[in-house]
Amino acid sequence: MIRHLFKLIWNKKRAHSLLMVEIWASFMVLFGVLSLIVYNVRNYMEPIGFDYEDRWVLNLSNNQDTVAVGDKVASIIQRLNQYSEVEEVTRTGSNTPFSMNTMNNSVSYKDVSTLTNFYPVDENYATTMNLPVAAGRWFNKADAVAKHEPIVINNATREKLFGTENPIGKLVKRDDKSFWRVVGVVDNYKAKGEFMSDEPGLFTFIKDKNAWEKEFILKVKPGTDANFEAKLVRDIAGMVKDWNVEVTYMTDSRKNQHSLTLVPVVIFLVICSFLLVNVALGLFGILNLNIAKRKDEIGLRRAMGATEKAVTRQFLGEIWVLATISMLLGLLFAVQFPLLHVFDIAGGIYVVAMALAMGVVYLIVTLCAWYPSQQASRIHPAVALHAE
Amino acid sequence: MIKLQNIEKVYRTSSIETLALNNVNIHIRKGEFVSIMGPSGCGKSTLLNIMGLLDEPSKGTVEIAGSTVDKYQDKALARLRNEKLGFIFQSFHLISDLSVLDNVEIPLLYRKGSARERRELAQEALEKVGLSNRMKHFPKELSGGQKQRVAIARAIVGKPEIILADEPTGNLDSAMGNEILSILQNLNKEGATIVMVTHDEAMAKRTHRLIRLFDGTQVTDSVLSTNLATGV
Ligand SMILES: Nc1ncnc2c1ncn2[C@@H]1O[C@H](COP(=O)(O)OP(=O)(O)O)[C@@H](O)[C@H]1O
Ligand SMILES: [Mg+2]
Repeated sequence: MIRHLFKLIWNKKRAHSLLMVEIWASFMVLFGVLSLIVYNVRNYMEPIGFDYEDRWVLNLSNNQDTVAVGDKVASIIQRLNQYSEVEEVTRTGSNTPFSMNTMNNSVSYKDVSTLTNFYPVDENYATTMNLPVAAGRWFNKADAVAKHEPIVINNATREKLFGTENPIGKLVKRDDKSFWRVVGVVDNYKAKGEFMSDEPGLFTFIKDKNAWEKEFILKVKPGTDANFEAKLVRDIAGMVKDWNVEVTYMTDSRKNQHSLTLVPVVIFLVICSFLLVNVALGLFGILNLNIAKRKDEIGLRRAMGATEKAVTRQFLGEIWVLATISMLLGLLFAVQFPLLHVFDIAGGIYVVAMALAMGVVYLIVTLCAWYPSQQASRIHPAVALHAE
Repeated sequence: MIKLQNIEKVYRTSSIETLALNNVNIHIRKGEFVSIMGPSGCGKSTLLNIMGLLDEPSKGTVEIAGSTVDKYQDKALARLRNEKLGFIFQSFHLISDLSVLDNVEIPLLYRKGSARERRELAQEALEKVGLSNRMKHFPKELSGGQKQRVAIARAIVGKPEIILADEPTGNLDSAMGNEILSILQNLNKEGATIVMVTHDEAMAKRTHRLIRLFDGTQVTDSVLSTNLATGV
C-alpha cells in the first residue's frame, strides 16, 4: 500500500508542489526555532554553579578622584564587613554574574589554545558565591606574592586545555611574556545565567592594593531589605565624596539576562506558530477540496473492497508520504548546519531539533488530514460513483 | 449466485421521496449472463448497486454467492465486494494518476498478497483483455475502448465469481462496444456470472437472459438462450 500511495503522490507531484513547499518551509522554520529552544533548554538544565539569592552587587566609580584609591577601597571593604546584615564580602571585576560586561581573551597550554572568560576575584569569592572547588584550592592572601600569578579555572577550560591531564600546578600561557599557574578547578560557572552555555572561564586574583576593580558582592542575611540598601549607599557615599555608589540585586540582573535570551525565542515562536497555523489552514482547505474532487476514486475503491478505515488510512497515508518527501528535502538542508558547523552548537542539538520538527510536522498534517479523511470514508460508495 | 427477494429501494431527500425499486425478485444462477434493460431512470443502476452491495435496500433480502447479507457491516461487505464481485462502469472510473498496471492492481491492495503476486495477476488480467502492451501507459493515453478494457481487467483481476457491468458500452462506438461484449462473453464462458445493464437491444440479445424494468418494477424476465457454460 505504501508503494501505491507513493506512486499516487509522485505522479501528482506537480499538483502537490505548493503543498510540498509549504511543508518544507514549515519544517525549516520549525527546525530553526526548535534548535534555538533545544539549545537553551539544554543550557538551562546545566547547573549554573553558584548561588545568587541574597547577593547584592555594590558598584563604585571613583570618577575624577584618583587620590589613594586603593586605600579607600580597602577601608570600604573594612566598613562593609562591619554590618551585621552582611555575611560575606568579596571584591570582583566589573563582569559580575548576570552583568552585561564581558572580558575574554585567548590562553594556551602547550599547543592548545581557547578563548576564555576572565573573572577577576579575591580570596573570598568562592565562599561568598558558594562556588565549590572541585580540585586544588581557592585563592589565599599568600597568592599575592607568587612568582606566577595564580588562577582557578572552570571545568570547561580544563577540558579544552588539559583534556585528561591534571591541571593543578600547570602553567597556562597568558601572553608572550607571562604565565599563570593553575591552583584550583571549579565545576560549572555560567556567569550570564542559566541560559548561557558553560563556557571556558578562569578566575584571576585581585591583589589588596589594586585600585582598578571596584565591584563588590555582598552576601546579605535573608530578608535584608531596601532600608538597609539605602543606609549602605548613604554610608559608603559619605566615605568617598564624588564617587558613584550603586547597588543592584543579583536576582534582578538575572531576570534581565533571561529576558535577553527569552524575548527572541518568544518572538520566533510567535512567528513560527503564525506560519504553522497558516499552513495548517491551507492544508485543511486543500485536503477538503481534494476529497470533494476525488469522490469518484473513493467510490471506486469502496466498490473494489476498501473498508471505511482503508479509505481514512489512504488519505492520511498520502499526506504522510507527502510530508515525508518534503521533509527529506528539508533534512538535506538541515544537516548542513551540523556538518558545516554554521554555529558553535553541539551536533546533538540539531539532531534533536530535526526529530522534534518532524514530529511536529507529522502531528500538524495528521490533525489537518484527520477530519477530511474521516469525511472521505463516510462517502457512500453508490453516491460517490453516481457523481459524474 | 445472486438472489434478490422483495427488494424495495426508496431514496429520501428533504423534499421528495423516490421509489426507485418496487418489490423486485430476481434469482440469477451461477454461470448466467443476464442483461437488464429499461428506460433511463427506471432503477437499473440502483438494482445493480444493490446486487453489488454498494447500496442497501430499504426492504428485502440479498444473497450473494451463498451468503445472505442481513447486517450491512462495513468490513464484511468490503470483503464480499473484494472477493466475489467485479464492477465495470459506463464512465470507466480509472484513476488518472496511476498507470494502467497500477489501476488494475487496486482490488488486490485490499487483500493479502505480495507486490510481486499483484503484479503478476494484473499482467495476467491485462493479457486477457489484450492490453499487455499498454501496461505503463496512463489512462489519458488510451482510447475509450482501451479504457474499458482496463476496467474489465481491474474487475477480473481478483478472480470474482460475479461481474456487474453498468452500461459498459454506453460511452463507446458500436465496434468498440462489440469488442467489449466479446470479452465479457469469453469471461462468461470461463465461468463468470455476469449482470449487464444496457440500452442496446442487439447487445442484450447476445446474453442468456433479459430482465426489463419499468419505473422500478420488473416487467419481464425472458430466457434468450439456455446454453449456459456451466451448470446451475
Ligand atoms: N442517490 C440518489 N438520491 C435520490 N434519488 C436517486 C439517487 N440515485 C438514484 N435516484 C433516483 O432513483 C431513480 C432510479 O435511478 P437509477 O437507478 O440511476 O436509474 P437508471 O440507472 O435506470 O437510469 C431515478 O429516479 C433517480 O433520480
Ligand atoms: Mg444508470
